[in-house]
Amino acid sequence: MRNTVAMEWTREALTERVYEILRDDLLTVGADFTPKSNLIDAGLDSLAVTQLLLAIEESTGVWVDESLLTEETLASAESFAACVHAHIAHA
Amino acid sequence: MPTSPTLSPIPLTGADCFLRAFDSEVRRTAGASHLAQLVLRLGPGLDTDALAKLVAEVAEAQPILRAPIRRPLGVLPPAYCVDRAAGAALPRVAVHDIPRAPDGAPPPLFAERLNEIHEARRGQLLRVDAVRYDGGAATDVAFTWLHPLFDGSGSERFLRWLDEVGRGVRSAADLPAGSARPPRADARTRGDLAMRWRARMQASAARAPRSLAGPLARTPQRLEVEVTTFTRAETAAITERARKLAGFLTPMLFYLAASVRAHHAVFQLRGVDPRSFVVPLPANLRDKGVPGDLFGTRVSLLWFQVFPETCAELDALLVELKAQRLALIKDGMVEAGNAAMDYARWLPQRAYAAMARRAFRGELCSFFFGFTDEFLAGMETFLGAPISNGFHAPSVPPSPGSAAIFSVRDGRLNATHVRQAGVFSGFELVRFQKRLRADLLGEPG
Repeated sequence: MRNTVAMEWTREALTERVYEILRDDLLTVGADFTPKSNLIDAGLDSLAVTQLLLAIEESTGVWVDESLLTEETLASAESFAACVHAHIAHA
Repeated sequence: MPTSPTLSPIPLTGADCFLRAFDSEVRRTAGASHLAQLVLRLGPGLDTDALAKLVAEVAEAQPILRAPIRRPLGVLPPAYCVDRAAGAALPRVAVHDIPRAPDGAPPPLFAERLNEIHEARRGQLLRVDAVRYDGGAATDVAFTWLHPLFDGSGSERFLRWLDEVGRGVRSAADLPAGSARPPRADARTRGDLAMRWRARMQASAARAPRSLAGPLARTPQRLEVEVTTFTRAETAAITERARKLAGFLTPMLFYLAASVRAHHAVFQLRGVDPRSFVVPLPANLRDKGVPGDLFGTRVSLLWFQVFPETCAELDALLVELKAQRLALIKDGMVEAGNAAMDYARWLPQRAYAAMARRAFRGELCSFFFGFTDEFLAGMETFLGAPISNGFHAPSVPPSPGSAAIFSVRDGRLNATHVRQAGVFSGFELVRFQKRLRADLLGEPG
């Protein structure tokens, strides 16, 4: 059965949530940080990625396994959210 | 924004105090300080006189480099007393001309430096040794410091900054701004976190680890450092294997698993039950996205525990380590470990280590481990001399007596094994190295 909480998340809403978590909780970034900013350049490391995944799980109820992530996925908050959204859609 | 050096005491972090506790214990039992070392292997062109002048210049401008570490008023948590640094000696810089080892290994002098004592109360925090070969055709430089002064990340940033000052890109007073977010949790929450950490460690004690050296005893520390540098082709194969087996986010678990199995192979050779392997993995607490501090230890520790029956296959061990990493982070053990270490700031130095060793039947852990990834990434020269190689070589107390540290420089993996002399027999060392190499490269062991 599909997770109804997860299904409520549009790709845009997920992008906004990922962006908020990164900006407010995980990274120390300036006003030039946007949903399109490169996350590795912004200082995201493996610990922060795992903490991001845990925060996403708390919001959506869906766990995205780290093995699904690639360098391309971590290119930006947008691409990360797209990966999570695709995973939720198939969950 | 650059900052000017403050003359108010700079409190040590919880992790600093954790390390200082081991310094106290190792000094008492083994006659050595708990030190860390960064080694640069340089080609021609290093002006050692200029290096000595540069170190003196930055130590004059940044008093933390020679600040006595004391408890202000005798009772407050330890701090770098930068207001008293002016009375302390400048860091020692020694230049040695000795023949190059036939096998090209770093000079034994560097390992000997790890067995010395740095007097924290007198501000003896850093020393530098430059070894020149063939009249300066090549130089090895070891920066050795009392461990709280830098962590691995900070020490590399210090080298970059030193190089910039030496090249005139910035002044010695122009220190990159640090960042220290205040603790987000209140005191009660942090207390709860510390208790959760303690409960977890106590649970680990049900099958307390056994190190190859055995429990700490009064024995002089005599460290040996051996660096194995893999070829670029081998490193490419190892890196790809790490990505494939451990995932591109967590290659450190691949090296950790290989290190556990290498130690396990020695236990098997001895016919001794290790009971369990407990290994702390540093977790970087520096703010992400800003340059961060040079000084101080900004890490928490994730304490892994695996049992011998899980070590039979590398793949199975990796599955276990990945699951534990996720569970540890999910359970808040990064924050809990940090909170627990913060409480250590108020404890007498010996109390903390004593508690740990009591819980683990005299042991601290199975071995020390570190994976620092790219070493001085993108930095090609140091004070004009090309960097041909470089690595970290932290000291390890006589117990657990073994440390495995990995980093990559210019496409070549350095596997650094720091060990107490006598812990490994010659035969055991061969077994250890064969198992490690086999697991890294995926060859038959």
